[in-house]
Amino acid sequence: MQKNISNILKSVQKPGRYTGGEFGQIIKDKDKVKMRIAFCFPDTYEIGMSNLGVKILYGALNEMQDVWCERVFAPWTDMEEQMRKNSVPLFALESKDNVKDFDVLAISLQYELCYTTAINLIDLAGLPIYAKDRDESMPVVLGGGPCAYNAEPVADFFDIFSIGEGEESLCELSQLYIDMKNNGTYTKSAFLREASHLNGFYVPSLYNVEYNEDGTIKLFEPKFDDVPKRVEKRVVEDLNTSYFPLKPVMPYIETVHDRIMLETFRGCIRGCRFCQAGMVFRPVREKSADVLNAQAQEIFKNTGYNEISLTSLSISDYSCLNDATDKLLEWTNKNKINLSLPSLRADSFTKELMRKVSGVRSSGLTFAPEAGTQRLRDAINKNLYEEDLLNAVRLAFEGGKSQVKLYFMNGLPTETYEDIEGISVLAKHVVDEFYKMPVRPKKPVQVTVSVSCFVPKPHTPFQWEPQDSLESLVEKQRFLGEKITDRKVRYNWHEAKVSRLEAVFSKGDRRLSKAIAHAVSKGIHFDAWDEYFDYDKWMEVFEECGIDPSFYANRRIGYDEILPWDVIDIGVNKSFLISENKKAYESKTTPNCKEKCSGCGANKLGKELTWCPKMK
Amino acid sequence: MVPQNEITPVRIKFSKTGDLMYISHLDLSRTMQRIMLRAGIDIWYSEGFNPQPKIVFAVPLPVGVESECELMDIKINSPMPFEEIKERIQNNFPSEMKVIDVYSPTQKFKNIGFIDYTIRLYTNASSEETCGKIEKLFKSECNIIKKTKSGEKEINISDYVKLAEAKNKASYIEIHAILSADSERYLNPELFIEAIKQNLNIMNSDGIEEFSTVYRNKMLDFDLNEFV
Repeated sequence: MQKNISNILKSVQKPGRYTGGEFGQIIKDKDKVKMRIAFCFPDTYEIGMSNLGVKILYGALNEMQDVWCERVFAPWTDMEEQMRKNSVPLFALESKDNVKDFDVLAISLQYELCYTTAINLIDLAGLPIYAKDRDESMPVVLGGGPCAYNAEPVADFFDIFSIGEGEESLCELSQLYIDMKNNGTYTKSAFLREASHLNGFYVPSLYNVEYNEDGTIKLFEPKFDDVPKRVEKRVVEDLNTSYFPLKPVMPYIETVHDRIMLETFRGCIRGCRFCQAGMVFRPVREKSADVLNAQAQEIFKNTGYNEISLTSLSISDYSCLNDATDKLLEWTNKNKINLSLPSLRADSFTKELMRKVSGVRSSGLTFAPEAGTQRLRDAINKNLYEEDLLNAVRLAFEGGKSQVKLYFMNGLPTETYEDIEGISVLAKHVVDEFYKMPVRPKKPVQVTVSVSCFVPKPHTPFQWEPQDSLESLVEKQRFLGEKITDRKVRYNWHEAKVSRLEAVFSKGDRRLSKAIAHAVSKGIHFDAWDEYFDYDKWMEVFEECGIDPSFYANRRIGYDEILPWDVIDIGVNKSFLISENKKAYESKTTPNCKEKCSGCGANKLGKELTWCPKMK
Repeated sequence: MVPQNEITPVRIKFSKTGDLMYISHLDLSRTMQRIMLRAGIDIWYSEGFNPQPKIVFAVPLPVGVESECELMDIKINSPMPFEEIKERIQNNFPSEMKVIDVYSPTQKFKNIGFIDYTIRLYTNASSEETCGKIEKLFKSECNIIKKTKSGEKEINISDYVKLAEAKNKASYIEIHAILSADSERYLNPELFIEAIKQNLNIMNSDGIEEFSTVYRNKMLDFDLNEFV
């Protein structure tokens, strides 16, 4: 380790965040590799190391002999202070080398509120934050992750974005880089131009954007004929054969998800109208129970973890769930390994499933009805009935659980105060269900109602919707607090100001980069952390930059308007999104992909797809 | 249930150096549980509602200290040759940890009385004179505030220092120290360094120029023989 880094670690909290050296980390000879990638997660080590995407891409890139991919996380503020004071630039954990000297700085953008942290990291690396100011000697700055589906607010800081699933496309991009370096044709601009021809890459500097007087987009088009008008997202076709990390890096310090994370399937059959993941991960692709079980055994052998979590967007929709859990339980029980199934749907929670997840260390159960009345649940296409939820909680209570957590949203399109009151009624019904039982668990019942604020997201049927005003959201939170009188119900709500800022950035355009740069220069970062989130400071930033946040967060957008994210093609047709948006206002539901294909268009992206009937 | 007579106690001596000095005792002990599982060591679990693999460490190593004499005891449910245990664990250790020895314990951890350290002070005040002052400091009464679980108390640190030999090495001072380490009278080497800083008024600069390193060489019993 560089002596400077080692010495400043003595004066920071949790130095284990910065040491690297974990079992499973990948070390290569830097003189023998042809390309070095700094893979950066713009949040703390504990959060970044819990991200399955990071594990997959780190492993997949390091499978390439000529590539060495290392990890970078955001130093906490105490460490950043020490680094700046002692002139230690941003370094990668494996080699401790400066990120500035790498070929590529890849930044994963998981949530809008990490933007300032991400841009601050570019600065901490000693690089100019704007792409146009970085010269040939500096790394290519690549963005990816869910926010890349509308990366316009940070477009000016990045050279290129990976759109969709990256485990295959990032290897192709790396090969292109190596080839161009080898045959002497590499310049940054030639590389970016060439990369724009690969599937799944968006180079923002190759597009012109013009605006109308009212602030809406007038024109958004490629500067050159060979640059695609729209960039189609990448999908991995077969999860049984695609790369999955079997020997992950083992953190020393406790991370958020310190366990085996097994991906069961991608995509979601449901199509909730507010949900971005449900749209952008289409179409559904599953891993077989046998592959899943074999991967689990191998990872257990390589890690020594005592918990396995089956991940997906909605685990009860995994068609091999019974088979897979049976196979797993055959060996996990005797090895004292706990099995957990997050993202359970209330309407498919069975006694058998209940028994399987009742491990030694199991706690309460969580369900997400999202809305308080059937009418609103239909409007958002949740397709869940009160009876389903009550059945599920009854099973949970019968199984000895007494804590249930329920997730809801405030501010959904078409919401009325009746719907909000419905949340308190539903929670009360859940409590009643507990007392209806003749024999009850010893621990008293507790129902936690957790309410977040609706944030309209790009590429969803609600992308044209305005967010509720801040005042209205706060008033609704207060109203619900008054309606919840049952002492067995605990009520939590999310800070509405945080959701408003999220709404600004999630539907933002390129003009917001000015605000982000200004915010970073004022020392704003770690917005996702309560202790650093400062709404008033952000409002100051917008005012100083002449930006009206309401234009982005609170304006109803017309169907015919050019959207900043129209350049990205997620495979789902706009006509489908419009029809879904209209159906919300009629409280009409759409069947899930298992029941009937609704023709969203995403089936064009895969070859052999499990659910899409048109493909069979 | 494994018959009681088949359970074999095993002592493992290992080193923990380099960047790993920043990994706390708590993190190390969680890591060690996983290492045992990976290594396929059939380790004995505590009984009860939430069974845990039973791993006992001799004297917890403070953050910032390197060591080549860490000791930990486990019990295994079925016999396995010590050489094999050593190899299996080594294969699952991170690169900055080495298994030094695996054997049957003969002494109890409560018989550890002292620990032998090499302490280096990288200071601008590195000189023969400073070395003399350091040695003299621990030969008479030297009071310092010690933080304990029950609050702060003033102690005479010299009572805890069996040996303190300082040598001037130009860019740093090297101190060979033997400090109390039994559970009743454990002295953290950081406090030893703090006493030097305070009394000699050296190493006051806050930064990366002046710093100290601490290295555990061996554990000793109350008679200053090596504890194994």
